[in-house]
Amino acid sequence: MKTCEGSRLVGTKEAECIETGFTGHGPFEVLASITSVKREQGGVRTALLYAPEIARRAKPMQFVQVKVVPLTDPFLRRPFGFSRISPDEGIIGITWATVGKGTSLMAGWHEGDTVSVLGPLGNGLQVDRISGIACTPPENAPEQHTGRGNPSRSMEQRSKGRSVWLIAGGTGLAPLYPLAESMKPQVSDITVLYGAKTSASLMDTSPFGAMGCRVTVSTEDGSKGARGRVTEALGRLLASAGETLRHNRPLAVACGPAPMLRAVKSMLADTPVELYISLEERMACGTGLCRGCAVKAASPRRGYLHVCTDGPVFPAGEVLLGGEG
Amino acid sequence: MIDLSTELAGIRLANPLVAASGVFGYGEEYARLGDIRWFGAVSVKGTTLEPREGNPPPRVCETPSGMLNSIGLENPGAEVAARKKIPWLRQFGVPIIVNISGNTYEEFSELGAIFSDVEGISALEVNVSCPNVASGGLTFGMDARSSYRATLSVRKTWKGPLIVKLTPNSPDIVSIARAAVEGGADILSLINTLIGMAIDIKTRRPVLGNVTGGLSGPAIKPVALRCVYQVSQAVEVPIIGMGGVSSYRDVLEFIMAGASAVGIGAGLLVDPLLPKKILADLEEYCREEGIATLTGLTGCAWRE
Repeated sequence: MKTCEGSRLVGTKEAECIETGFTGHGPFEVLASITSVKREQGGVRTALLYAPEIARRAKPMQFVQVKVVPLTDPFLRRPFGFSRISPDEGIIGITWATVGKGTSLMAGWHEGDTVSVLGPLGNGLQVDRISGIACTPPENAPEQHTGRGNPSRSMEQRSKGRSVWLIAGGTGLAPLYPLAESMKPQVSDITVLYGAKTSASLMDTSPFGAMGCRVTVSTEDGSKGARGRVTEALGRLLASAGETLRHNRPLAVACGPAPMLRAVKSMLADTPVELYISLEERMACGTGLCRGCAVKAASPRRGYLHVCTDGPVFPAGEVLLGGEG
Repeated sequence: MIDLSTELAGIRLANPLVAASGVFGYGEEYARLGDIRWFGAVSVKGTTLEPREGNPPPRVCETPSGMLNSIGLENPGAEVAARKKIPWLRQFGVPIIVNISGNTYEEFSELGAIFSDVEGISALEVNVSCPNVASGGLTFGMDARSSYRATLSVRKTWKGPLIVKLTPNSPDIVSIARAAVEGGADILSLINTLIGMAIDIKTRRPVLGNVTGGLSGPAIKPVALRCVYQVSQAVEVPIIGMGGVSSYRDVLEFIMAGASAVGIGAGLLVDPLLPKKILADLEEYCREEGIATLTGLTGCAWRE
């Protein structure tokens, strides 16, 4: 195990963070400096944090625990998925909407402030372990494999690779960006289905478009994109995929509010689509110590699973969401 | 040379910091986060005779300067703990305290017997104060007579050092402390969590799946200190003080109130490196104050 007394070691080499006698690969505590805080479309903020020890190890869909202020109130750290992972620059991004005490205080963050960040935590999505989708970090993949701007290559990839559906609601879009980025070199067909209540709460989807993803936006009031919920767009996608579903077996990853996840799970339950869902539960430590963030396992033998150490991403069939089972 | 070591009923601790039961599991998670050897002793998750899957979520909820939990003693059961978890934890050479929770006096005796056959356990800690399980737990610890009987039940089958963990939820913690000592406790640990709750004003329902939970964190430190201050003057046995420790100042306060060792609980959930930071700060404090032996301060707040 490695530990890093990050408060004094920010920017130092990894070797200096390693305590002697340990062999694991635990998360780091880093006193990260905030390199920028930006207001973005959809009423969210994104902070970029200089935390090289974390950026170097972070995988898409993992998370960090952030001590918003170095005080006892609010007491607990706050979990955030990565909205950006830039290992070369040593930068991670987190994106939030102001919903409570912690996120309100984060609105007061300024460039140059430092915050204690613990991570990376959780398992992320091990895309490289999913058969038919070999996913490597973007920096390891030669650019020409993206197939962008090369229609013949793109067709060839499409014919052998599985499609990927990224399904998001609200701020659930944020962690899917590094995921799409990591898949991009090897997956030619990525569809993003994104929904929010109104156009005012829609996050910017243009980075997905720029990456070559097909993006479908829905708003409940129809103020932008298709009127309705993201699940209605999913229904249309399912219908249009029709017979191709069976041999293509798309990989779907859903991230958003619990009712959306329940609906998506039930829609895809009897289809060939392989669904992963990113769960949230009230969390204290984020490190497996407290056993707080319990989610019922589908198999009674397994009792409760824990979002922090078993997730936050689960194969949809392995967990029972609220109201199921 | 500054001496941070302490002793609890013959158990030698390299420093006074104890990983409190319930935030340390059996050490496997912590081993990825920090060095188990930063602790003077570790108390493992409350262990029951049969495996328990724990309470329905939500199990945790933040409160001002603290948190509520209703984990519900999620643990693999005594057999797995004895056969797999404790043997693994032994490799670190840190004194191991096994926290046990029974539903009946007989179960407490049986737990004492199971762990008597396991090598490398420095002490058993009798949990008569868990607020999150329906039977047993807190019901024993609220009353002097049942605390005495629960302690005695373990004492019959476990010959090593025996700790009894006390609840602050009883109206008279001192009489329960005395009863535990009379029942055979060699050490007392206090306090367990205070029973509390939170309500979600949107759903108009309790936040926790178990409705009530145990309050911990800095919010409870004044209560914990008062308990240690009172109990340490009433009994002769050493005390592990705990409740809201999040800095070396808190550790010093507990020692001054009468503790020989100090537990870290919820603080570890926020800062896994807390023991390392506290040890460095304690050394610096002792150096600046010209203190050679930290435990020399035990009970100084009430001693002549």
